[in-house]
Amino acid sequence: MKRSLAAVWVVLRKELSDALRDRRTLATVLVSSVLMGPLVLLAISGLVASLESRAEQREVYIAGVANAPTLRNFLERQTYVVKEAPADFEARLRRSTFSDPVVVVPADFEAALVRGDVPVVEIVSDSANQRSEASTARIERLLGGFSRERALLGLALRGVSAQLLEPMQIEDRDLASTQTRATRITGMLPYFVMMAVLYGALTAALDTTAGERERGSLEPLLMNPTERWALVAGKWGAVACVSVLIAILSCFSFLPGQWVLRSDTLAAMFQYGPREAALFIVILLPLAAALAAVLMAVAIRSRSFKEAQASSTIVVLAVSLLPLVNVFDLGGEAPWHLWAPALAQNTLMTRVLKGEALGLEQVLIPLGVCIALTAIGVWYVARELHLAAVK
Amino acid sequence: MIEVRGLAKSFAAPAPKRDGGWRAWARSRGKPAVAALTAASAAPRIHAVRDVSFDAPNGRITGLLGPNGAGKTTTLRMLAALITPEAGTMRVDDIDVVARPREVLARMGVLSDSRGLYPRLTARENIVYYGALHGMEREAADARAQDLARMFDMTALLDRRAAGFSQGERMKTALVRALVHDPANIVLDEPTNGLDVLATRALRESLRWLRSPEGGAKCIVFSTHIMQEVERLCDRVVVVAHGRTVATGTVSELLAETDERDFEEAFVKLAFVPERAAAGAAT
Repeated sequence: MKRSLAAVWVVLRKELSDALRDRRTLATVLVSSVLMGPLVLLAISGLVASLESRAEQREVYIAGVANAPTLRNFLERQTYVVKEAPADFEARLRRSTFSDPVVVVPADFEAALVRGDVPVVEIVSDSANQRSEASTARIERLLGGFSRERALLGLALRGVSAQLLEPMQIEDRDLASTQTRATRITGMLPYFVMMAVLYGALTAALDTTAGERERGSLEPLLMNPTERWALVAGKWGAVACVSVLIAILSCFSFLPGQWVLRSDTLAAMFQYGPREAALFIVILLPLAAALAAVLMAVAIRSRSFKEAQASSTIVVLAVSLLPLVNVFDLGGEAPWHLWAPALAQNTLMTRVLKGEALGLEQVLIPLGVCIALTAIGVWYVARELHLAAVK
Repeated sequence: MIEVRGLAKSFAAPAPKRDGGWRAWARSRGKPAVAALTAASAAPRIHAVRDVSFDAPNGRITGLLGPNGAGKTTTLRMLAALITPEAGTMRVDDIDVVARPREVLARMGVLSDSRGLYPRLTARENIVYYGALHGMEREAADARAQDLARMFDMTALLDRRAAGFSQGERMKTALVRALVHDPANIVLDEPTNGLDVLATRALRESLRWLRSPEGGAKCIVFSTHIMQEVERLCDRVVVVAHGRTVATGTVSELLAETDERDFEEAFVKLAFVPERAAAGAAT
């Protein structure tokens, strides 16, 4: 037993140094998984900042301002700056080169208003143009205000109480804390961290199984007097270590990432400090272990690295798609989420981001699932190892 | 010392390319279902090894000579406990291979058919890794690697990564790797494959030294299909053909047995003529 444990350590050390010498693959994983997250965060912060500055600018673009002096008067009283829309605004909205919705006023607007006809005002935006779409609601509210003011004035002239028009009052009360609201934006962060774990494990797992077969080094390896399980345990340990290493790098890469956040509100809402990073890593450890074992189990049946890449696609897909259940918020949090690996970790990390406490059950179920997956994977690789060597 | 008695192993033949499912289904219509089932289960088996026996004493070089596909590699793989035989016994230093494979592997250095190295590790790291797997201390394994490297004239290679090695360099590294734990029994599967004349000569010299009392009087078994290797090196020859041991003896004994003066002629007689006779009998 003692000798086997020593062998586990020997294999682990060798596989680890072997994997860490694969500089090109490591660099690719680092760029794609570790840098990607902060970059996306930066891009989102840029978008939010531009939305905020647009809201602060208080500008409205109108096609045909001259037709509507009353509307112009109303808007200017709301301290908005009214601007004439460019002539080719439709084409520019479609191309996303213009990022504000445009209010189109018909030529007979004033006259219709006076006559009591209902003139039609269009708000033109392109729902594929995200930035113009974001301001549409604001413009709608503004124009609604204009309508209401006209209605109230009309009623007041006829001596009718304005309350008849609004028999009830509506007030908003948002239950979400600042952190909860922030997860609508930072919700993708756990996803990126999880991809880092996956891609960190992928190459190493394939290399220690299918790669070993392809090189023809598996057969001589099995001619050493080492227990099969010790070989597999060492290999699995090394793959899990690489994966965890990438996960740690990825989790901490968001720390400096948030210093460069361009949006002050986002920076204020985005509560991700060393404590959250540490919790993320604790949540991800079992996932890294399970993914390492599962990927090795899938790859051991393949004769070459390429073949293994093809067959591991299913695992990659599952791990990439499951968390999306959470991201798209399909049906809210359900109890089964905790039983699905990747999805469970995503749920837990989202909770950490929301500043919510983790219950014992929420920690134990995913941990148990991951331990079971690891055991099955390692057992299967150990079983298939001899067969794989001679085929 | 290695003893092998009545070894046999067969494999399921790789499935032939099947017709499209519907065509097979169409053909099987009207046939009784049982017949279709038995046809599927009676897949042909390839008998890689039918009856191989030999003795390899200490301080001798025993050559396993046979044409391609004779079952040499399968025999050596069974000896290395990589596959389990269907029949027969194998004992290494009086330890049963099937019952106590790990003890046997600890006493045996095997250069197998596939001899892949880890390209990102240096030759020294490749060798020391195997030493460590045999339970050696790193320093001891390193010292041994150094000694063996001197013997095989590859000291300059030791600290280079294996990625750019030539065929011969890879072969030498794999050989040193197999010998790192100073095994009493050495099993080599076609060790001269891909080696040039000088490297082959050097290998021969090393094997002769390992056989001598100073070199440790090792028991050496190597398989080959090259006549000259056997003539120049082997104390005993085991001729294997079609999965059977067809003849055993020294080179001169085999020449006498076949009444030939040329060893190549003798080998052809031993390995192929019975086969032709068998084929004739079958038709």
